[in-house]
Amino acid sequence: MKNKIINWFLWVGLIVIVAIIPKVFGAYYVSLIVTFAVFAVLSVSLNVLLGFTGLLSFGHAMFFGAGGYGTALALKHIAGLSLLSSVGIGVLSASVLALVLCPLVVRVSGTAFAMLHLAFAQLMYVLALKLRGITGGEDGIGNFPIPPFTIPGVVSFNMKGVPENFYYFAMIVLGLSVWLMWFFTKTPFGQIQVGIRDNAKRIDYLGFKVSHTKAVVYVVSAAFAGVAGSVYAIFHNLVSADGSLGVLVSFQPIINTMIGGVGSFFGPIWGTAIFQILEEIIVRFTDRVELVIGVTLILVIMFAPQGLAGWITTLKQRFFSASSHKLEKIS
Amino acid sequence: MNMLETKGLYHDFSGLKVLFDINLQVKEGERHAVIGPNGAGKTTLFNIITGTYKPSKGKVFFKGKEITGLKPCDLCRIGMGRSFQITSTFNRLTAFQNIRLAILSKRGVRFNLLRKVDKIEEITRETEEVLKRINLIGERNFPAGALSYGKHRALEISLAMATDPELVLLDEFAAGMSRDETHNAVALIRKLTEGKTVVIIEHDMDVVFSLADRITVLHYGRILATGTPDEIRRNQEVKDAYLGDLEV
Amino acid sequence: MDATTSMYVAQGIHGLAYGMVLFLIASGLNVIFGMMGILNLAHGAFFMLSAYFCYSVLNLTGNFWLALLLAPLFTAFFGIILERFFLRKMHAMGHMGELIMTLGVSLVILAAVKIFWGTENLPVKMPPILEGMVSLGGLEYPVYRLFIIGLAGVVLAIMTLLLYKTRLGKIVRAAVSDREMVNALGINIPVVFMVVFGVGTWMAGVAGVVIAPILTVFPGLADQVGMDAFLVVITGGFGSLLGAVIVSIIFGLLSSYGVQFLSQLAPVVMVGFMALVLAIRPSGLFGVKE
Ligand SMILES: Nc1ncnc2c1ncn2[C@@H]1O[C@H](COP(=O)(O)OP(=O)(O)OP(=O)(O)O)[C@@H](O)[C@H]1O
Ligand SMILES: [Mg+2]
Repeated sequence: MKNKIINWFLWVGLIVIVAIIPKVFGAYYVSLIVTFAVFAVLSVSLNVLLGFTGLLSFGHAMFFGAGGYGTALALKHIAGLSLLSSVGIGVLSASVLALVLCPLVVRVSGTAFAMLHLAFAQLMYVLALKLRGITGGEDGIGNFPIPPFTIPGVVSFNMKGVPENFYYFAMIVLGLSVWLMWFFTKTPFGQIQVGIRDNAKRIDYLGFKVSHTKAVVYVVSAAFAGVAGSVYAIFHNLVSADGSLGVLVSFQPIINTMIGGVGSFFGPIWGTAIFQILEEIIVRFTDRVELVIGVTLILVIMFAPQGLAGWITTLKQRFFSASSHKLEKIS
Repeated sequence: MNMLETKGLYHDFSGLKVLFDINLQVKEGERHAVIGPNGAGKTTLFNIITGTYKPSKGKVFFKGKEITGLKPCDLCRIGMGRSFQITSTFNRLTAFQNIRLAILSKRGVRFNLLRKVDKIEEITRETEEVLKRINLIGERNFPAGALSYGKHRALEISLAMATDPELVLLDEFAAGMSRDETHNAVALIRKLTEGKTVVIIEHDMDVVFSLADRITVLHYGRILATGTPDEIRRNQEVKDAYLGDLEV
Repeated sequence: MDATTSMYVAQGIHGLAYGMVLFLIASGLNVIFGMMGILNLAHGAFFMLSAYFCYSVLNLTGNFWLALLLAPLFTAFFGIILERFFLRKMHAMGHMGELIMTLGVSLVILAAVKIFWGTENLPVKMPPILEGMVSLGGLEYPVYRLFIIGLAGVVLAIMTLLLYKTRLGKIVRAAVSDREMVNALGINIPVVFMVVFGVGTWMAGVAGVVIAPILTVFPGLADQVGMDAFLVVITGGFGSLLGAVIVSIIFGLLSSYGVQFLSQLAPVVMVGFMALVLAIRPSGLFGVKE
C-alpha cells in the first residue's frame, strides 16, 4: 500500500517535470528530449523483440523509416489530413511492412534473423535513395505541411513553428507507446513470449503456435518503431534515407538496449539516456559518431554484458547482504 | 476404442533405421508401458506420436482419427500431453510461471492482450492448486532451473499433465531419481493420471510392473511382445532378449 | 563477332570477376563461421582495410605485387588481434556477444579509416602487365578480370585443400565438435582458432587488394561489397562452400548484367533473389538446418 502511494507520487512528479521542461529550459533541450523519447521508444520496441523473444534484428531502422516515410508522404499528398491520422498512417506502413515480411522471417532465428533484417533494411535504404520520384532521393522529403492538433469544437494547437506544442504531443504519444508496450509484456500473451525465449520447444508442446506468437510480437514491435519514426519525421519536418533508414539507425537501439540491459523492460530507456548524454559530451570534442558507437559497444559487451540493469543487480547483491542471501538461494 | 494406435510405423534417421513396422495399441483408460534396452527406439516412437518427427512410413491414430504429421501444438490442443526424458522446463521462469503457462493453454488463453496475467484470479488460483498437488507450493517463486532434481522432474511431469490431456506420454519420468524420489513420483503419477490414458517409457522394472496394465517390449526397433505384466514375465522371447539380462 | 556479343561477353567476364571477389570474401566468412561458429560482422571492414593498406603500400613502394603480398598479411594480423584479445572473451556469452563485438569493431575500423585516409575515393593503379585486353578465339577479354578469376581460383583451391585435406583442417573440425577431447589430445586449440581467424581475414584481405584498382578505395567499400558478401553467405547457406560458389557467381552476373538492364535496381534484384531462396529454404541454398 505504502509502495503504491510512493509510486503514485513518482509518476505525478515525472509528469510535472516533463510538463515544465519547455517553460524552464530552452528550445535546444526540448529538441534533445524529443530525440531522446523517440529513440527510447525505438529501443524499447527493439527490446520487445530481442529481450522478450530472443530475436535480434540488425534492421529495425526499416520500420522506423517506414513510419517516417509513411507519415511524410501522407502529409505531403493528402490535403486536410489530421495530425493523428498522419501518425496512424506511419504506424500502419510499418505494420504492413512487418506483416509482409512475417511469413519469411518467423521461419528463421538467431544469426540468420539478424542478417536477414540487415539485408532488408539495406534494400529499403537503396530503394529510398533510388526511387527519387517518390522519396526525394538523397534529399528526402522535407517541408511537408504539418496540421494542427485539433479536438473538433474544443481546442486546436498549432504544431508548425511551435516546438513547445509539438513537444507535448510527442511526449504524450511516446509515453503512451511505452506504457502500451509495458502492458503488452504483462498480458498472458506476454508470458507466452517469455516462454518462447526460454524454451520454444516446450511452448510448442504446451499447445501454443510458436511462429504465430513470434509473428504477433514482430508486428507489434514494428508498429511501435513506426510510431517513433513517424513522430521523428514530423518533429524535424524531414525524413531522409540516412536519417531514418541508415545502418546507424538500426544499430542505435541495439546499443541503447545493450547499455541499459537486455531483458529488462526499462533498461533500454536508461540506456538511451546514458548514450545520449555521452554523445552530447563527446560531440563537443569529435564528430565521429561511428567511433563513439563502436567503442561503446565493445566496452559494454566486454565489461558490462548485462548492461546497467545487470550491473545494478550485482551492486544490490553486494550491498544488501540480507537480500543477497535470498538471491543466492534462488540463482 | 483404442485411445492411441499406430499402424506399420517405420522411421529412419538419414539411413539409420530405427523403427520397423510398429503396431501399437493403447486402450482408453489403461496405463501402458513401453520397455526396451537403450537405443531400442522408445523415445523416437514418442517423438513420432507427439509430432516431433514425421514417420518415414505408417500412420498414427488418436481417438480414432488420423494424426500423422500433425504438429506438437495441434496435438496438445486435441488432448495429448508429453514429458521429456531430458527435463525441458522454462528454467528462468518460476515454478509458478511454468505451470501458469500450461494453465493458460488449457483454458485457451492465447492471444489475450487486454488484461494483465497477474490479475486473472482464476488462473492464479488454478496454478496454485496444481502447485499444491505436486508439493511445489513452497518453491512457488523459485526459478525452475534452481529446483532440486526430484522437484524439477515433478515440474516436468506436471507440465505435461496440467493442460489436462486425455492421453499422457511420459518418457522415463523416474530416470536418475533416488529410491525415495521414485517412490514419490510413482505415487504422484497415480494421483495425477486418475482417469487418463497413460503411456510410459521406463527402465525400472519395479515401476513398470507396479504401474502398468499392459506392456510393450521394443527391441532393436521392433515390437517383441505386447501383453499384461504376467504375460510379459512368462514370455520366453522377452526373457531371452531382454529380461534375462536384468535377471527378473 | 559483332559488337553486341562482345559487349555481353565482356559484361559476363566483369560479372564473373566480381563474383569471384565476392566468393573470396564470402569464403573467408564461411571458413570462420564453419570452423568456429562465429559470424564476423567486421569481415567487410577488414576487406576495406586491406584495400587501404594496398593503397598505402603502393604509394610507398609503387609495387602492386608487394601490396598483394603485404596488405592481406597486415589485415590478417589485425584479424588475429581481434580474435585473440576480444572475441575469445565472448565465447561464454554465445552468439549475441560475438555479433555485438564484431559490429563494434567494424564501426571502429570504419572510423579509423576515415581518420587516417580521409573520405575521398583513392585511386589505385593496376600493374601495367595486367592492363588492356587479350584476344582469345576472336573475342576480347580484359586481362585484369581474368587475373582476378585466376587468382581467386588458386587461393580457393589452396584453402580447400588446407582446410579439408590436411591435418590442420581435421583438427579444426574436430575442435569444433568436441573441444575437450581435442584439448585432451594435447592440441593447442586457441592457436588453431587464431590461425583459422587469420586465414579467414587474410582471404578478405586478398579480395580487398584485387578490387582496389577496379572500384578505387573509399569508406563505403565495406558496406557496398561487404554487404553483398553477407548476402551471398546467407543465401548460399552458412558454412557451405558450394553454396557460396554458386550464389557468388549468380550475384556477380546479376550485378553486371543488372546494371545494364535494370540500372539502379540491381541491388533490389539481388535481395529479391535472396528472399525467394530463403522463403523456400530458410537456412539457405545448401545450409544445414539449425
Ligand atoms: N535425432 C537423431 N538423429 C540420429 N539418430 C538418432 C536421433 N535420435 C535417436 N537416434 C538414434 O536412434 C536410435 C534410437 O534412439 P532412441 O532415443 O529412440 O532410443 P531409446 O529407446 O529412447 O533409448 P534410451 O533408453 O537410451 O532413451 C539410437 O540408435 C539413437 O542413436
Ligand atoms: Mg529415450
